[in-house]
Amino acid sequence: MAWQPSAGELAIETRGLTRTFPSGRAVDDLTFDVRRGEVLALLGPNGAGKTTTIRMLNGVLAPDAGTARVAGLDPVAAGDEVRRRTGVLTENAGLDERLTARENLAFAARIRGLPTGVAAERAGVLLERFGMAADADRQVTGFSTGQRKRVALARALLHDPEVLFLDEPTSGLDPAATRDVVAHIGALASEHGRTVILCTHFLGEAGKLADRMAVLHHGRLEAFGTPEDLAADLWSGLAADLDLGTTAGPDVRARIERVAGVHEVHPTVDGAALLVRDREVLPEVVAALVQAGVRVYASTPRPPTLEDVYFELEARRAAPPPAPHEGAAA
Amino acid sequence: MSIAAPELAPGLGTAPRRRRERFDAIRAVVAKDLTAVRRSKAVVLPMLLVPVLLLIVLPLVIGLMASNSPAVSVEDFLGRLPAGVADPITSLPREEQMVVLINGYLLAPLFLIVPLMISAVLAADAFAGEKERKTLESLLHLPMPDRDLFLAKLITAFLPALAVSWIGFLCFATVANTVAWPVMHRLFLPTKLWMVMILWVAPAVAALGLGVMVRVSARARTAQEANQLGGAVILPLIFLAMGQATGLLLVDLPVAFAIGAGLWALALWLIARGARRFTRDSLAAKV
Repeated sequence: MAWQPSAGELAIETRGLTRTFPSGRAVDDLTFDVRRGEVLALLGPNGAGKTTTIRMLNGVLAPDAGTARVAGLDPVAAGDEVRRRTGVLTENAGLDERLTARENLAFAARIRGLPTGVAAERAGVLLERFGMAADADRQVTGFSTGQRKRVALARALLHDPEVLFLDEPTSGLDPAATRDVVAHIGALASEHGRTVILCTHFLGEAGKLADRMAVLHHGRLEAFGTPEDLAADLWSGLAADLDLGTTAGPDVRARIERVAGVHEVHPTVDGAALLVRDREVLPEVVAALVQAGVRVYASTPRPPTLEDVYFELEARRAAPPPAPHEGAAA
Repeated sequence: MSIAAPELAPGLGTAPRRRRERFDAIRAVVAKDLTAVRRSKAVVLPMLLVPVLLLIVLPLVIGLMASNSPAVSVEDFLGRLPAGVADPITSLPREEQMVVLINGYLLAPLFLIVPLMISAVLAADAFAGEKERKTLESLLHLPMPDRDLFLAKLITAFLPALAVSWIGFLCFATVANTVAWPVMHRLFLPTKLWMVMILWVAPAVAALGLGVMVRVSARARTAQEANQLGGAVILPLIFLAMGQATGLLLVDLPVAFAIGAGLWALALWLIARGARRFTRDSLAAKV
């Protein structure tokens, strides 16, 4: 990567992080940096090593090899100091069902040494913020998955951590709560400079939040960077949608293909999907069609999303290397 | 949209955590676990029922029966005991021998079941229960040294076991003295040996139950599984205790102390081994 931050700008650094269990190697030679205030989407199929990575970064598991620094501290040597600066939302919420929502938060606050009054006020604000104020004094045992997730998220944020590790923060939430939580996570990073490591299978959500993405597979870092950078490595060209009001016929497609810089043309319901050299080609395409009397309602560049990049990586892993340009307009 | 950052507690920085903060964290874990246990009928009911049956109902029923049959001779039974061992009973008036033998000596072994059972049940809940409830991982992500977490879990199981045992003994002594009063016209419990048993042997037995369950819980996935595995170890210990405790009450004080010390040594060895294995890494690797 071209960007080389100074050490002070980094919230997380890993160098060759490796961990093996009796069942096999969970994380293998993991090296990446995360800037302060950045949201990193940590992606990969189940068993890719995401949870093991988070546990090593938070000093819960020790690496067999390699080093890490989180908030400037070594999680192996100063695990408790690291954990004071981090907040973790585990995949299964991890609330004690026999306690109330408020008691769960109060317990975490006491362990973290928050003054009682501050903790109570903060817990009240967060439970209210995530729509759990009315249920704050109910035992967790009757809560839905979404309710548990919201309480656990409030617990993770209770001490305003510098670094947040969020594992599936929106699983089980209804659409309104999902939107709310996504907005809140985004604001934590963009407005408060908090660093967020986001593990999720909801790629649309990751795409909205993440500045960069790391894709793990069998514990190895398969790809790391912004979706744009990764897309540039995966595909040469830019996808675009052409709205013609109707499917592009053979004549129209032939006319488009004659424009210099057009790599591919595929008919769609209301026009065509193109793969072009760059965005400067699109006005040429529109001009050629207008000149031929074809009505053009819109020409929309469609940069690859995080989701496109992820699935392309998955597809390339599963299949032999594709021919040049293949799959870019998918 | 945004939420203001809270003020962090004094000392929350790079400086080592102060001893008071660590103590507060240990207290927080103990308080949390005991609150949770109090709300769990599956844990509380056996913890209360067994002591009530063993330490109140049984001595009451047997004591009443014994008090109402003072003429029954226990000399044959006492005669089978080693010479000198039965002297404290045979030296009593004949009408007192039956009630003292039963409530003062024969029921005594059952008393040791209480600290053993309660510490084992609570330890299983505190250690394996965290895995079962899927709360272990979130606990491990909190800033608390492994040693403090282990200590908190030990206290969670040990102190209630002691409290219930001692309160149970007070109830037992009250019931036993009350039912024996018509025959004896005096308080006969606690004896010196009973005091050794209550204050020295019973805590050792509780610690032993704890030590066993700490080891067992490391392998078990649920509290129930831990109880089953632990039962395989603890039940023979219970029978051994029952077999030996009567003798314990009939031996000299130094021997009783020595037996307690042996139990303590075994319990502390088990706990120390458990503590060495109680690390975040080993726990998280099994989550």
